[in-house]
Amino acid sequence: MRSRFLTLSFAVMFVAAACGGSGSSGAPSTEGTGGESGAPPAESENTFDPASISGDVTLGQWESSPAEGTALKGAIDAFAAAYPNIKVKQTTIPGDYRAAMVTKFGASDVPDLFYVNAEYAPEWMSNQFLLPLDDYIQRQGFDTSKFFPDYASIFQQDGVTYGLPKDGNTIAMAVNTDLVPNPPTTMDELVQVAQGLKGNSKIKAPMCLNPSLDRGLAFLYAQGGSLLSDDGSTGTIDSTESKAAVQWYMDLFKNGLGETNTQLGDGWCGEALGKGDVAIAFEGGWLKGAMDAFPDIKWKFVEMPTGSSGSKVTINYTAAYSIGTDSKNKDQAWVLMQYLTGPEGMAKWTSGGIAVPSRSDVPVPAGFEVIVAGAAYAKPGSGFMPGYPDVLKAFGDEFLKQITDKTYDAGPVVTATKSKIDEVLSAQ
Amino acid sequence: MTSTAASRGRAAPARRIGARQEALAGYALIAVPMLLFLVLNIGSIVYAAFISLWKWNVRLGPQKFLGLDNYVNAINDPIFRSAVTNTVYYTLIWVPLTMALGLFLAVIVNQKIRGRTFFRGAFYFPAIASSAAITTIWIFIMNPFGLFNQVRTALGLNPLFALLGYGPNQDWLGDYHTAMNGVIILNAWTTSGTFMIFYLAALSAIPHEVYEAAAIDGAGAWDTFRRITFPLLRPGHFFVATVGVIGGLQLFDQAVMIGNVDGAPANSLMTLVLYLYNAAFKRLQYGYAAAVGVVLFLIIFTATLIQRRIFEGKQATA
Repeated sequence: MRSRFLTLSFAVMFVAAACGGSGSSGAPSTEGTGGESGAPPAESENTFDPASISGDVTLGQWESSPAEGTALKGAIDAFAAAYPNIKVKQTTIPGDYRAAMVTKFGASDVPDLFYVNAEYAPEWMSNQFLLPLDDYIQRQGFDTSKFFPDYASIFQQDGVTYGLPKDGNTIAMAVNTDLVPNPPTTMDELVQVAQGLKGNSKIKAPMCLNPSLDRGLAFLYAQGGSLLSDDGSTGTIDSTESKAAVQWYMDLFKNGLGETNTQLGDGWCGEALGKGDVAIAFEGGWLKGAMDAFPDIKWKFVEMPTGSSGSKVTINYTAAYSIGTDSKNKDQAWVLMQYLTGPEGMAKWTSGGIAVPSRSDVPVPAGFEVIVAGAAYAKPGSGFMPGYPDVLKAFGDEFLKQITDKTYDAGPVVTATKSKIDEVLSAQ
Repeated sequence: MTSTAASRGRAAPARRIGARQEALAGYALIAVPMLLFLVLNIGSIVYAAFISLWKWNVRLGPQKFLGLDNYVNAINDPIFRSAVTNTVYYTLIWVPLTMALGLFLAVIVNQKIRGRTFFRGAFYFPAIASSAAITTIWIFIMNPFGLFNQVRTALGLNPLFALLGYGPNQDWLGDYHTAMNGVIILNAWTTSGTFMIFYLAALSAIPHEVYEAAAIDGAGAWDTFRRITFPLLRPGHFFVATVGVIGGLQLFDQAVMIGNVDGAPANSLMTLVLYLYNAAFKRLQYGYAAAVGVVLFLIIFTATLIQRRIFEGKQATA
């Protein structure tokens, strides 16, 4: 009997633990079943003067490195000097930021201002976690025209703005300048250069390549392929051009021109470049800080090679500041937000050498010229459609199978991705 | 005979009052934990079952009644099905393997050998070390250029591995054919110490007289183990198997460390708990996630009942 009871309680405890997240959701709200998001408050006729606001504001953020913390502190200190009536309380959320924040939304206990990564922005917007900002933008006359358009668009849904990009990154080509003194400017040249490096005993493979759309999307666009139709209503990954582009990318693996970071035995492609396992990798601005750990390797960023599409293209990754629907000090949060995403605050934040500006009117920090140049023509690398993580996974799972089994057929990859896109779009 | 019956009769009322008081005291003592158990555990299960019938927004609550749609959609999702397959496969291989290892270690360190306290500690050590740290080390060891591949190359074992189709730089945890087995071996190693402790406790419950009788009858070491130790450990087997199956069906942290929350490579490390995590925190489909939780509960519950039946049945015929 005792062991049966023990057994039952084990089972019960586990499921309780597994369902803890859902159990924490509050009572049914009176806010209705959605759809009315974005209605501006009644007092929208008044103008908004940030200097007139006083009080406390809590800021929730992740922190990837101590240097990032220092850079943010610099920006917050500058804010405190400019707006002495508002006191900022920082709360760094350790570990799984997304999961921690989702439980806070469920408990209606959210920081006043917080980071939102592009990756999950569509879900957070459609679940009404985030406050529409159009009213504040309009009343204050805040100039949003200097944000690179494809950073800003990620945090808009049905014409409503829910976040302003705090910074942004684009994917560029990073080359070992000893091994690649003349970096390729076209995809054809890239293949030639890589072929010339094949068999070079100094490296394990010419390129470190990502076996999914995290980087593959940039190559797909460059080679004239696409994921979605221009209006975003249908999947086009199964078109002839897209399929050819996926096959072209996969052939880089097939022909031994590139390997994945795990095949190379590295944690990520930046490490592969730093350890000298490859001569070429495709990364964003975060690579710069990471390469400080490998002072012996001479390298530089160059813009993504141009493919058969004929025009320059790459993909971007960004994150925004947003205010929660349930945030308590919304006005104070907006004041902090318009400063940090405005030209002055963003210049402070990006002068820390960690982040890259998401606005075109902020000075480019040294070493990030190529990354910012890409922002003018980069397409969103995530957050541009609801359910994109599932599409990415469908593509990546099948792509990795093809590489692992050495079958190198784009067909199943395209089919799996297309059916996931259809599924995600029909669920909207 | 009559006098004892009479005395029993006389004493009965007093004893009944005593028993009632004792029972009351007992209920009073368990009242608080029982209440917490009912509210926090049973209550959560019932609430989760309720949520599983809805399209549920974590901030706004119920949005739309779906009936059993969440369950139907889960069963129709190939990733959910591979999560079930992976989880069951893991449990079916990992539990017997770890039980065998744990029993082996327990029998060894139960001998009167020199330094057995050291060995007990050493075998148990992986269980108390952080699973994140051990998993990270495991990732380094199983890396294509890691210790495992280097050692087998140095030992000249590569022709043997080539027969099985593995090259000298096989990416054990990055290849979707081998990743799950890599996790099974890792966890068999780290958990065998815990199972050893359970088995040591069960071993100490076997009376010495049985062994002495066996020795007098001239039983050898293997016969003693096969005919005495192993069958008499049955309550131990049940406990270890039950704890093992429940733990196995909850596989999460090692899978996340190795294959991140996507269950990479190619869904080979997608487990039920990981699937639930994705539904809840990535897709924000709380009703759906609750449905997966209920399915997981039913699987664990059924598995435990079946185990109970098996071990109970054997005990009855023993």
